[in-house]
Amino acid sequence: MRVWTSQLLTLRTLEHLYMLFVALFFSILLGVLIGVLTYKNRKLAASVLNSLNVVETIPDVALLVLLLPIFGIGVGPTIVASILYSILPIARNTYTGLSNVPREYIEIADALGLTQREVLFKVRFPLSLPLIAGGIRIAVVFTMGVVTLGGLIAAGGLGAALQNGIQLYDMGTILITGAWVGLIAVILDGIAGMIENIFKARYGK
Amino acid sequence: MVSRKPFDRIDSCRLEKVTKKYGDRFAVKNLNLEIQGGELLILIGKSGSGKTTALRMINRLIEPDSGSISVNGIDVREFDPILLRRNIGYVIQNIGLLPHLRVSENVGLILKLESWKEEKIRERVRYLLNLVSLPPQIFMERYPHELSGGQQQRVGLARAMAMNPPLFLMDEPFGALDPLLRSQLQDEFCKIKKELGRTIVFVTHDINEAFRLGDRIAVMNNAELVQVGTPEELIFSPVNDMVAEIVDSKRKYRHIDALKVRDIMQPLEKRYILHPGLSAALALDYMAKVGLEVALVFWNPENIGRVYLNDVLNAVFSGKSLEEAAKPLPLFSPEIPLLEALARLKAEGESMGLVLEADKPAGILFSDRVLENLI
Repeated sequence: MRVWTSQLLTLRTLEHLYMLFVALFFSILLGVLIGVLTYKNRKLAASVLNSLNVVETIPDVALLVLLLPIFGIGVGPTIVASILYSILPIARNTYTGLSNVPREYIEIADALGLTQREVLFKVRFPLSLPLIAGGIRIAVVFTMGVVTLGGLIAAGGLGAALQNGIQLYDMGTILITGAWVGLIAVILDGIAGMIENIFKARYGK
Repeated sequence: MVSRKPFDRIDSCRLEKVTKKYGDRFAVKNLNLEIQGGELLILIGKSGSGKTTALRMINRLIEPDSGSISVNGIDVREFDPILLRRNIGYVIQNIGLLPHLRVSENVGLILKLESWKEEKIRERVRYLLNLVSLPPQIFMERYPHELSGGQQQRVGLARAMAMNPPLFLMDEPFGALDPLLRSQLQDEFCKIKKELGRTIVFVTHDINEAFRLGDRIAVMNNAELVQVGTPEELIFSPVNDMVAEIVDSKRKYRHIDALKVRDIMQPLEKRYILHPGLSAALALDYMAKVGLEVALVFWNPENIGRVYLNDVLNAVFSGKSLEEAAKPLPLFSPEIPLLEALARLKAEGESMGLVLEADKPAGILFSDRVLENLI
């Protein structure tokens, strides 16, 4: 409890979750959008997904540092880095999901007289939701890590509390904050997994 | 979106010199086929014979390389493919119910895209589910994976009927079902078909299904049409061994239940008919001269009798008139099933019956000749 109040963990948790959800919101938006666009434009797909892959290979600390000159320090670059990191799994899964809808469904949709657009939004997209949810689940874990690192560049959040603990060599703070971050990560991953499973169950098979 | 139906009914659907190649291989080669309004035409052949390709070219899922396909004389390429397909029911073997949509949403999908009102859609879906023997209150809200294979196939059929299309394309719709269920669905389908009176093109590789459902059967092999005709025509005059093998002509009797009186009756030649005014003696002379064992005495459609040579002979000796010697004989319409006619002959202890078409004698059915024609 001492650690909790001294490190303002309630506030830190709220900051943390705020960054996490803002970042996730935009990465889902952008990721799905990029996934749909790359699906619609196959030529674009390889280059876009490859560049996202390149971003993905940059270590997260390095990415944060690279963004400093553009976005300064604090919440901004942390959220941007989280988004950059999380777009790939979502975009890639969206793309893969849209591309791999079983042929029979597409065939029947065509035969029933759905337009290309209707096939995309009424058939392909809903049937891709389990895979897209899987991508988002990976993104949650990525974002959690990057947001925690944000503590290094004065973004606040639980990362800041961890930094304090490390600098003060305060084992209690480190352990409690660390365990708390871990617990949140496990819970969020669990929720994301549940959503994924609901989609899977609902769409059969 | 207000859509215009490309056609309300089918007078004819024609495929003319239709060719489709994949690489060097012909999928369909120079196919000429006319589907008549209201008939169920079977396309039968081995896999790879081009039957499915031919089917899919009708609703433009596949575009032919050359040749033309027309509905009521209008080339299908003049129709918007979306409107065309919404006006043609389509059912496939693996059904393709969309797993993320409830039964009601699957059946009502196109109605919704056509901006029908929610209440009207539900009403229509209920009607269609009843038609395919699925109680709507039980099945409307289910997801496809909560249904058995047979139930899914019924929903697929209901979905194809949603827009009330005048033409159906069916690609082995019962192929994935176990035999018992298949025959049950075939029976139900026959009933629905009669009620709706639609034009149907039906792909199958099962000859029994073809005989059971088809008005006419088109046999395809190696991308080409080999023969098209009624089941009886294929059985009795297959153009080659391949068709004979498919329809199993060597064991024709197996298909005796597909036959109608028309297929077996002998054409009625004039020489069989005796004028009622004729005296028994003259009739005897005539029959002896022409070599008739039996003859018909024809007054009018309500009054026809048959006389055997012996009857006439007896009449001559006992001084009876031809009219008194003649006995009434069973009358049949050419369209009734052969088996039914044979059963009646047997019950009445007769060996021959007269086939009347539009009140005119059209032929004679001899029970002892049936077997000859079959073997």
